[in-house]
Amino acid sequence: MSQSDLPRKEATVLRGHEGAVLAARFNGDGNYCLSCGKDRTIRLWNPHRGIHIKTYKSHGREVRDVHVTADNSKLISCGGDRQIYYWDVSTGRVIRRFRGHDSEVNAVKFNEYASVIVSAGYDRSLRVWDCRSHSTEPIQIIDSFLDSVMSVCLTKTEIIGGSVDGTVRTFDIRIGRELSDDLGQPVNCISLSNDGNCILASCLDSTLRLLDRTTGELLQEYKGHICKSYKTDCCLTNTDAHVTGGSEDGSIYFWDLVDASVVSKFQAHSSVVTSVSYHPKDNSMITSSVDGTIRVWKT
Amino acid sequence: MDSDEEDFVFYGTPIEREEEITSRRKKSIAEASGHLRALPPWKQEVTDEEGRRRFHGAFTGGFSAGYYNTAGSKEGWTPQSFTSSRKNRAEVKQQNILNFLDEDEKTELEGQSFGTSSQFDTFGFTAAELARKQAEKEQQQRPSAIPGPVPDELVLPATESIGVKLLLKMGWRRGRSIRDSHADSLYESRREARKALLAFSSDDAKTQLTDSERGESHLESSVEQPANDDVQSSRSTLVYVLNPKQDLHGLGYDPFKHAPEFRERKRSCLSDNRKPGYRKALSMKDSLFGFKSGKVGPGFGIGAFEEYDAEDEDVYVTAYDFEDTIVQEVEVEVEEPSGVTKDRRPRLLGKEQGVLPGFIVASKSDYQLERFDPPAVPKNFVPHHKFSGPLETDKKFADPPPPEVPPPDDSNMKLLIDGVVSLVARCGKLFEDLSREKNQNNPLFTFLTGGNGHDYYARKLWEEQQKRNDQTMLAMDGKSSLADQKMTAESRGKLLLEKPLERSSKDLSSSVSSENAIHMQYNLTDTFTKSASYSELPEIIKPFKDDPAKQDRFERFLKEKYQGGLRSTDSGKASNMSEAARAHERMDFEAVAEAIGKGKHGKESLLSTQQFMGVSPAGGMQFTSGGLEQAKDTQAENLTTKNMYPRREEFQWRPSPILCKRFDLTDPFMGKPPPAPRMRSKMDSLIFMSDSVKPTKLEESDAVNKGPYPTPQSDTQEMSKIEETEVEVKVEVENVERPVDLYKAIFADDSDDDAETFDHKKLEEPEKKIEVAHTALNHLIAGDFLESLGRELGLEVPPELPYLMSKAKTAALQKEITNAVAKTPVSGTPVDRAVLQQRGTTQEGESLKKTFIPGNPQSSGGKLRETDLSENRTGNADREKTKEDARAKSPSSRNRNRSSSWSSEDERSRKRSRLHRYSSNDSYSDLSSDDRDRYHSKSKGRKKGSYHEKSSNSRRKHHKHKHRDSPSRSYNDAEGKKEKKKRREMD
Repeated sequence: MSQSDLPRKEATVLRGHEGAVLAARFNGDGNYCLSCGKDRTIRLWNPHRGIHIKTYKSHGREVRDVHVTADNSKLISCGGDRQIYYWDVSTGRVIRRFRGHDSEVNAVKFNEYASVIVSAGYDRSLRVWDCRSHSTEPIQIIDSFLDSVMSVCLTKTEIIGGSVDGTVRTFDIRIGRELSDDLGQPVNCISLSNDGNCILASCLDSTLRLLDRTTGELLQEYKGHICKSYKTDCCLTNTDAHVTGGSEDGSIYFWDLVDASVVSKFQAHSSVVTSVSYHPKDNSMITSSVDGTIRVWKT
Repeated sequence: MDSDEEDFVFYGTPIEREEEITSRRKKSIAEASGHLRALPPWKQEVTDEEGRRRFHGAFTGGFSAGYYNTAGSKEGWTPQSFTSSRKNRAEVKQQNILNFLDEDEKTELEGQSFGTSSQFDTFGFTAAELARKQAEKEQQQRPSAIPGPVPDELVLPATESIGVKLLLKMGWRRGRSIRDSHADSLYESRREARKALLAFSSDDAKTQLTDSERGESHLESSVEQPANDDVQSSRSTLVYVLNPKQDLHGLGYDPFKHAPEFRERKRSCLSDNRKPGYRKALSMKDSLFGFKSGKVGPGFGIGAFEEYDAEDEDVYVTAYDFEDTIVQEVEVEVEEPSGVTKDRRPRLLGKEQGVLPGFIVASKSDYQLERFDPPAVPKNFVPHHKFSGPLETDKKFADPPPPEVPPPDDSNMKLLIDGVVSLVARCGKLFEDLSREKNQNNPLFTFLTGGNGHDYYARKLWEEQQKRNDQTMLAMDGKSSLADQKMTAESRGKLLLEKPLERSSKDLSSSVSSENAIHMQYNLTDTFTKSASYSELPEIIKPFKDDPAKQDRFERFLKEKYQGGLRSTDSGKASNMSEAARAHERMDFEAVAEAIGKGKHGKESLLSTQQFMGVSPAGGMQFTSGGLEQAKDTQAENLTTKNMYPRREEFQWRPSPILCKRFDLTDPFMGKPPPAPRMRSKMDSLIFMSDSVKPTKLEESDAVNKGPYPTPQSDTQEMSKIEETEVEVKVEVENVERPVDLYKAIFADDSDDDAETFDHKKLEEPEKKIEVAHTALNHLIAGDFLESLGRELGLEVPPELPYLMSKAKTAALQKEITNAVAKTPVSGTPVDRAVLQQRGTTQEGESLKKTFIPGNPQSSGGKLRETDLSENRTGNADREKTKEDARAKSPSSRNRNRSSSWSSEDERSRKRSRLHRYSSNDSYSDLSSDDRDRYHSKSKGRKKGSYHEKSSNSRRKHHKHKHRDSPSRSYNDAEGKKEKKKRREMD
């Protein structure tokens, strides 16, 4: 993908959230997106047509993260009320509510088969919840982190968590091994490259770090943006050619993956960019911000 | 109470005795019931005159308890069971004292209670009370269709109160509104709505509103007011209020239904249309979100039962000002006709003026705020700041130069004047004034006030200022002003829109700021400490201007060189430079300073950077190279930090079986027992790692050596191994410890415990320990070589001591030895070096002695191989030397250098030293300092044995300890020697 294909043109603005939007995520095929925010709601949108489809309300406090299954049938969300809500997408009903985190839940993800939910909490733990049984108890608690776990990623066999203690820990279920990569800086977001070989970790020293997963080697550092006090997401583009991330001054940065140069930078929002999500196939991206908007970017 | 007693006449009340009372009552009962003797005492009941039971059991109420015996209410004292359901709400009962009083008590109370007599019942309270009571009584007598008490509104005072009478006399007529101050809740709640209605009900609603408003706050005024207005349309008993619909919302829709806070706000906003600034006072934060923190998420409250705590603070508040938009939206949403606001305005103003209800602002206040006049500005004051530095020189540049004057004869005077001139030139006129003031009476400083030498002073000052001016001009011409030179390369690059370099972008935050800090400090000290001699050095000489930090260091260096006085303490070791780099830099500085000095002598007056560079091009080259090196240095630092992170660690982690199932994976721990809980802290995890290494090591040593008492063949194998590499030998040394390892591997789970158990063991069974050592030697060296060495060991105390001691010390940690190169960067101090040196000489002396001890042929063969090895080693050491310069110096590395130099003198002594070096130095140096710290801290206080005392000593001391040991240790060793001697004799 050449530089000109980067989504830099604002296609749509999705308005509706009152207050900060804390996360915006594409669904599996990129046709829809989900957002959640301080107004305790989760909203389902068609970002390409700019339509608000549905609102999911039940959270008692702000909703910090949301994830949808690959078949788009179930939602999972978590937030400041220390609970994880398991929703039915079409009816908008809460199927189950998982309680157990001692503190706010920062991030949540389904596994590939949507059989398990992994949540990352401020209580320094990752918790794994079972969707198949009716139990609402966690089936696994991973508490080797030393500080708040900010972000979680799943592969087919691994659970990866990034924490404020500066580590990215990979829990390999197949081998029964924990790999801890200490970056020395608080990690507030991790995201996997599309080939699954690298982890991009957003650190609070305004640096994105690209780690090789097999060796734990630091491959590249991406700088220029501001990320010092808020959780701002980062991700790789669908071709893994560029790295993108939001800045606390409301701008979006694109870096070249290899030489770490800032390829593009533009002012996207008037306030902190909380989340960026890249379309799985097209050159399209959604960003959410504290200014209450979600913006859809296209080439 | 027999009949014969009735003849007595009693006067007064007799003291009744219990039995008498009971008997009398019994009698009365008996009289009443007629079967006194028929019942046993415990079955007889006491009743009052109405036949009610008087006494009850303690558990059924005691004295006179129960319904009919007590206060007279059914609830009385019996516990009430509270039931309330959705359909059948429990009544909220207001209890007062009357509920608990008997009838007689009530009558008593009736007489004593105070009340306003009807004659003076101004507001009709008492009358109303009476009327209500009457109504209640009536209701009780004849149950009405409506159950419950009569509503207050229906009960009106029967009589005309004195207040009404008064009002009537004052001109008030019935039906006119005066607000009775008796404001019940209903009234309160309807007041606002009523006002809204009134606002539109008539043309002069305005005046009415103000009047009523005031009447509410203070009754007296309202009493006076109503006389003025004749057209009062409303009645005081108006209850039903019709709200006019004035908005665009649907019928029955109340935008503020769930947020009554906004109602007030909206009103105030509307009324403030012409009053900016008021909104600020009544900001959203104050009224609606008046939480303690003030940092609250806008619009999204939390549940009613949730505690509001720090977690709920809106972290984004600073980033986004949400309030104003909300306000705007509300305003837009509930727009009202503008006429209303006009009507409303005076009311609100009135409200503002009346600060508290019931109080008015005094027209003339006694309290006068004392105000003081601002200080008078002197007439000649010019409100412009004068800059004492170059600005002044600019100004003076235009001044005509004072005539040239020969210097005064007194050389001291000349010096003094020169010094003062330079200072004044640097610090400005202010300094001159100050010193003049200070030295008014000092005959030496008369030149300041126009005395002897004043002309010379004036001339000099002018010259100096000229010079300085020129310098700055020159600097400007060279488009590198002073400020520019202090600019970092990064900022300049930014100015020139250059792409930032890799390095510069990396250490943006940390190093630059620290540089600035240093710079700042330097500037500060500079103003105080710069003396005349230094100030003559042109300031613009900045040979390292491409590296401001280095330039700083250079200037500091110059200052230290040429000048006394205050100086910053951290001058030399400011930044995190290595010693070698610092030394190198110092040499550079020396050269530069020399060049500058030369240049000064040659040219005397002015020195610009360009000129200076022209004078000594070679020096310039040198400087740039130095600067480059500095850059490299920082790059190396970055590299080291980079190398530190990311750091990968590996742990065992056990996924739960169900997790594996859900991920469609087979459980890697299937059928295995649950794992031990992992230690949390990093230190512990380190220990954990070392523990996990243990078994493999053990196996390794097992492979080398099967069984605790090896055969001669294996010994020879070991011999060859010894000579191969140092590492190998070290393994052998570990091998010595093998029995202990085994012990540990089996029984111990914590290394610290290991140390202790080992310590115990050692203290309790020194003989066993010696045996271990002996077997170790057996393993190490075969045949006669062993014998000779053993003899040496037996003879010489110092080499033996550290060996054993170190063994004891490092028992728990020895397994961590993996290579011979010391890792811990502990910088050696001069003391350290001296000690080492001393030790070296003693060792040499000893070794010289030992050379005379005859060795066996076998041992000589060993020696031969040893020499080979030693050559290798010296070569290695030489190579390493260069590295070690760059590296931080650790005692062990120095030790190695030294030992390699010995090796040429005496193989055996070297070997011995090597032996104990392996066992002590290397093992120690290999440990990370962290680990050692932890080890020390944990071991402290556990055992007061010699071992722990030593281990808690510093590393430096440790070297000494090898020679001079604590008594207990030497005792053990003496025993050990004896033991060895014995064994040798047996052999």
